[in-house]
Amino acid sequence: MADMQNGNMVTIVLSGRIDSGNAQQSEQEILAQLEGKNAASVVLDAENLKYISSAGLRVILRLKKAYPDLRIINVQSDVYEILEMTGFTEMMTVEKAYRVVSVDGCEVIGEGANGKVYRIDQDNVVKTYKNADALSEIQHEREVARLALVLGVPTAISYDVVRVGDSYGSVFELLNARSFAKILAAEPEKMDFCVEEYTAMLKKIHSITVPDGKLPPFKDKILGAIERIKDTLPDGLGEKLLKMAQDIPDRNTMIHGDCHTKNIVLAGDEVLLIDMDTLSVGHPIFEFVPMYNAYVGYSEYDPDVVLHFQGYNAETSRKFWHDTLAAYLNTKDENVIRAFEEKVRCMAYAYLIDRSIRHAKAGRDDTPEARALWTGRLIELLPRVDSLDFDPESEAPAANELTLEATAENLHEVLDFVDANLEKIDCPMKSQMQMNLAVEEIFINIANYAYAPNKGNATVRIEVGDDPVTVTITFMDRGVPYDPLKRSDPDVTAPADERRIGGLGIFLTKKVMDDVIYEYKDGQNILMLKKAL
Amino acid sequence: MLQIHKTTENAKTTLVPEGRLDTLTAPELESAIEASLDGTQELVLDLEKLEYISSAGLRVLLIAQKKMSKQGEMKLIHVSDTIMEIFEVTGFTDILTIQ
Repeated sequence: MADMQNGNMVTIVLSGRIDSGNAQQSEQEILAQLEGKNAASVVLDAENLKYISSAGLRVILRLKKAYPDLRIINVQSDVYEILEMTGFTEMMTVEKAYRVVSVDGCEVIGEGANGKVYRIDQDNVVKTYKNADALSEIQHEREVARLALVLGVPTAISYDVVRVGDSYGSVFELLNARSFAKILAAEPEKMDFCVEEYTAMLKKIHSITVPDGKLPPFKDKILGAIERIKDTLPDGLGEKLLKMAQDIPDRNTMIHGDCHTKNIVLAGDEVLLIDMDTLSVGHPIFEFVPMYNAYVGYSEYDPDVVLHFQGYNAETSRKFWHDTLAAYLNTKDENVIRAFEEKVRCMAYAYLIDRSIRHAKAGRDDTPEARALWTGRLIELLPRVDSLDFDPESEAPAANELTLEATAENLHEVLDFVDANLEKIDCPMKSQMQMNLAVEEIFINIANYAYAPNKGNATVRIEVGDDPVTVTITFMDRGVPYDPLKRSDPDVTAPADERRIGGLGIFLTKKVMDDVIYEYKDGQNILMLKKAL
Repeated sequence: MLQIHKTTENAKTTLVPEGRLDTLTAPELESAIEASLDGTQELVLDLEKLEYISSAGLRVLLIAQKKMSKQGEMKLIHVSDTIMEIFEVTGFTDILTIQ
């Protein structure tokens, strides 16, 4: 037996067998070790203890009376069984000995701020922690993962805690799991699949109500960051940001808190969320704050950051982020997407600036230029953002204007939008069909030619004037300047064999509408179609 | 958005497009016509259930007209007033055989 004093906690190492033959002697040795130490708590290290009989257990009981905080650690499975059978595991803290796992030569399949994830065999991965005292962290993560699973989140729960070198690791069973980051990096054509599954997962967790007090509010993190940086912003903008963040309604629904593509995996055909240590509650908009930074924010100064961290380039990352917002908000209206993104960015920059300042203070690597860039963008953003709250229902597009990517696939989106507006004014069927025709011709023209070979947005606006009731449909795009009215009309009297295929669109538009006006202004093609009802 | 019903009777093929004939659906009618050309001397397009036609749809009709004039004839039946008006302004009433 040997002891190691550590503050007012004394660790006593037990070894061999403790039975009726040597129990008394063992007890004396233990007491001798504690004498004069003024120990407040005692830990028995049972790593080398092979057997303990009831005589030995009585020694532990007496010790527990004198030191109520008594803990037994590193207990081997045979001894653990005895302690469990006799009820000792319920009377005091008994920690099993940890299996030792080596990760030498194992494939690293993930790496986060707190450690690495290794594949130790075909079905199992171990998540290691940099922090040597990681047990409480592991415990926390297991608890929240278990809570998440019970509440209906598909996730992996570690089934064992092991020793890895000087620290600890938790072991998960993850069959053939591939993160979305790896899928996007290797198979960019699976973008739509990933967006769809990812959005479904976000919606799922954001709809889960968490019992009170089980998870921390994410809002506190954001408010903390804003509090720390608000005085670095000019003109009361810091105060404005803080007030807006405080005004975001509290929610008791779940947020993952670090939901980027390395934390969502495809295991077989099942999609799982992992890395649950940041699980929180709060308004869903908070979820998008760390997401923005992972996909866009960190890379705004150095586009290679995302490549280094997620394994795909900044362009893919931006598209994934954009398409996820569109799917989550269930809109193709770029104005709605941008408005939401701006709310998120206000908080995301605050987080980045705060982190950068803290890193600088702690002497860790920090890029003042990046901080200046984020600060500049936040200052530019704040005056035009007046609320950080959002409600998908009330954020519906400004009812008479739609901005979306000009592609043929979006045609029905545009026609639905036009029809919804025309139905409000009881437009006669025939006029509605004629305006559909004009809208299709113009929109398809923009889709085919305005930005070719690239893609770009088009905005459609509908206004209704009185006396007589007149509908004005305006198209705007930032493509190459093009006046469709300059095109000469096709010969509509030519026989079929001499007719050119195509070229009728603009002609038809002019025929079905009363007036078509083109102008090029502020870098935009603006085409106004008017029709009196 | 567009459904196409087809009946064939000797050398006469009838296609009934139902719904909207626009940029996105016109290729469907185009391939349905393409698939019907072989051995067809009379192609009938019954437009009774057609709600809407855009220039993309007109384009398909023009292509079909050109092809059928080489091997027989093409007829349009049950054309609604609104669609007839489109045919009129575009001069299609002079090109197509409308009954």
